[in-house]
Amino acid sequence: MTPKKIISLLITILLLQSCTKDVDFNQLDDANINASYIVTLVYFDVEATNFLNEYNEEIEWTSDVIESKISTASQKYLERVEFTVITENSFNRSFEINIVFFDEANNPIYQLKPSIQIEPNSSTKVIIEIPQSEIDVIYNTQFFGFSILMAQSADGTVLSGEEAFKLNLKSSVELFYNYRKV
Amino acid sequence: MKYFWVFYFLIPFLGHSQNKQIVYDFANLPQTLLLNPGAEVTNKWHVGVPVVSHFSVNGGFTGFSTYDIFADNGIPINDKIKAAVNNFGKSEFVTFNQQLEVISAGFELPNKSYISFGYYEEFDFLAKIPKDLVDLFYQGNSIINKQYAIHKLAARSELLGVFHIGLSKKIDNKLQVGARGKIYSGVFNANSKNNSGSLYTADGTANIYSQHLENVHIKMQTSGIFLEDTDEVTSSYVQSKLLLGGNLGLGLDVGFTYHPEKQWEVTGSMLDLGFINNAQNVRSYAINGDYEVDGIQLLFDSNNPENYWENLKDDFEESIVLDTVYSKYISFRPVKLNGAVSYSFGQNYDDCRFLIDSNSYNNKIGFHLFSTLGAVHSYLAATLFFEKKLHKNIYTKFTYTVDPFSFSNLGLGLSMQLGVVNTYIAIDNLLNFSNLYDAQSASLQFGLNIIVNHKN
Repeated sequence: MTPKKIISLLITILLLQSCTKDVDFNQLDDANINASYIVTLVYFDVEATNFLNEYNEEIEWTSDVIESKISTASQKYLERVEFTVITENSFNRSFEINIVFFDEANNPIYQLKPSIQIEPNSSTKVIIEIPQSEIDVIYNTQFFGFSILMAQSADGTVLSGEEAFKLNLKSSVELFYNYRKV
Repeated sequence: MKYFWVFYFLIPFLGHSQNKQIVYDFANLPQTLLLNPGAEVTNKWHVGVPVVSHFSVNGGFTGFSTYDIFADNGIPINDKIKAAVNNFGKSEFVTFNQQLEVISAGFELPNKSYISFGYYEEFDFLAKIPKDLVDLFYQGNSIINKQYAIHKLAARSELLGVFHIGLSKKIDNKLQVGARGKIYSGVFNANSKNNSGSLYTADGTANIYSQHLENVHIKMQTSGIFLEDTDEVTSSYVQSKLLLGGNLGLGLDVGFTYHPEKQWEVTGSMLDLGFINNAQNVRSYAINGDYEVDGIQLLFDSNNPENYWENLKDDFEESIVLDTVYSKYISFRPVKLNGAVSYSFGQNYDDCRFLIDSNSYNNKIGFHLFSTLGAVHSYLAATLFFEKKLHKNIYTKFTYTVDPFSFSNLGLGLSMQLGVVNTYIAIDNLLNFSNLYDAQSASLQFGLNIIVNHKN
């Protein structure tokens, strides 16, 4: 075999081979990556003094607010938002905690449902989910409001501020993303 | 021919190294002098055809191939992605290198030494991706106490022009040595190395979870990326930076060829022992610190309302400090090491059984080691090769290479001399030539030279 033939053969072998086997890039349409991220959220300890006004008179509710604008970077992939709230209540009162979302103009646009109901002298763990259809509301939120409503005592006694009662709340959120072609 | 162009355009997407195991010490090509300045070149003079005397491009990704993900084999793509993530090593790397020789020439001196010189452009990119970052993206951070570490995260990238002149000198019949001086002109440089730190979520005390950034040290140096407002990136801007207008540096290649016996040859080289002084448009970042957060503690104190979010941001910025530095820095080029041992055999006889050329052999078999040593990443490749002279002007070389990308990398080189015109081509990963999508690396080198040999 002459050199010319050998070279021709080598080139022919290379070029006659199929350069690619079957691949299907359209499979990308079916690809999805499900990842979830835990973010620690708010926590607090409220005591009897948190439910007294400046005249040491019992008040039935107290509130606080966090200003935080959520980045829209991965909005289109967020599918589920799941809050976990753990409470420990040593008050002999029941409580209702409401978490309300406000827009830039301070208008309430969403409330986490159900509200968190806490029985006297109890420990609870509540998981609250924002339905997928309502998730976009998070990205329109500028303020997160927290209010604690304390029920009156059954026997008519009022708080003096001397009591060692404590309501403790811990929370976290798990964000479930589905990265896919959108 | 269409397959050639498919191959050509796919290479950048296949995501290799700077190992040129086929062209190294091949067929006395002038381009072997760029891989070993002490290579034996037997021609009288050469001139590379401008811009096409040598073009090389190679790239690779050690993680997985396109075919691993997109094979049309009935397996759901999400299962293939999962398998690719599960098979991902502690860190994988993606690399791409491209060189274009613009000017190349050389000639033999009366004392038989060979001077060669020229100019080439080079783009180089390498990034190491730690598995922990892949897991963080793929799974999230919901595994409590799992530390996602970034200490293997590193990257480098640069675009530069290289002026060079080298001399290959014959010391005696056994030894040839050479050296090449280089002037680098960098358009841009970016590197990030020696990073450390981890992120994890732990069970908390004040809150359900506490989240931690621990021992974070990230550094990135750049030059020529963040430009002055007056700078506009045009082709003339890039050209001026490539042609001594950029960040300047110096480099040195050294090499040798030694024949312990007539048929045995030992070669070695060390390339790009050099640096660039990055002084133009320099901007470097350093991020250092530790941070732990339990969440936001609500105080329900309407008399003294807190700006919780701003306090959190301030606390984070005090704990994790970002420094921007504008002082110049030195970057070192990744050093390339080559070493080879070969044995030549098979000589040509005329019809009367007389030896035609006692110094010429038709076959060469050998072993070649390549290593690149860099601050960002180093690795080793080993090659077995067989070079066959099919005709006095036609050389072929077959290689089998084991490197971080593949244990089955077969390569082929072909060099032909027609009159004074020499052309060569070198392609590796031939086993994947039947399915380029399955290649985790690929490289291609070709060129066109005018080579004038001595009259016999």
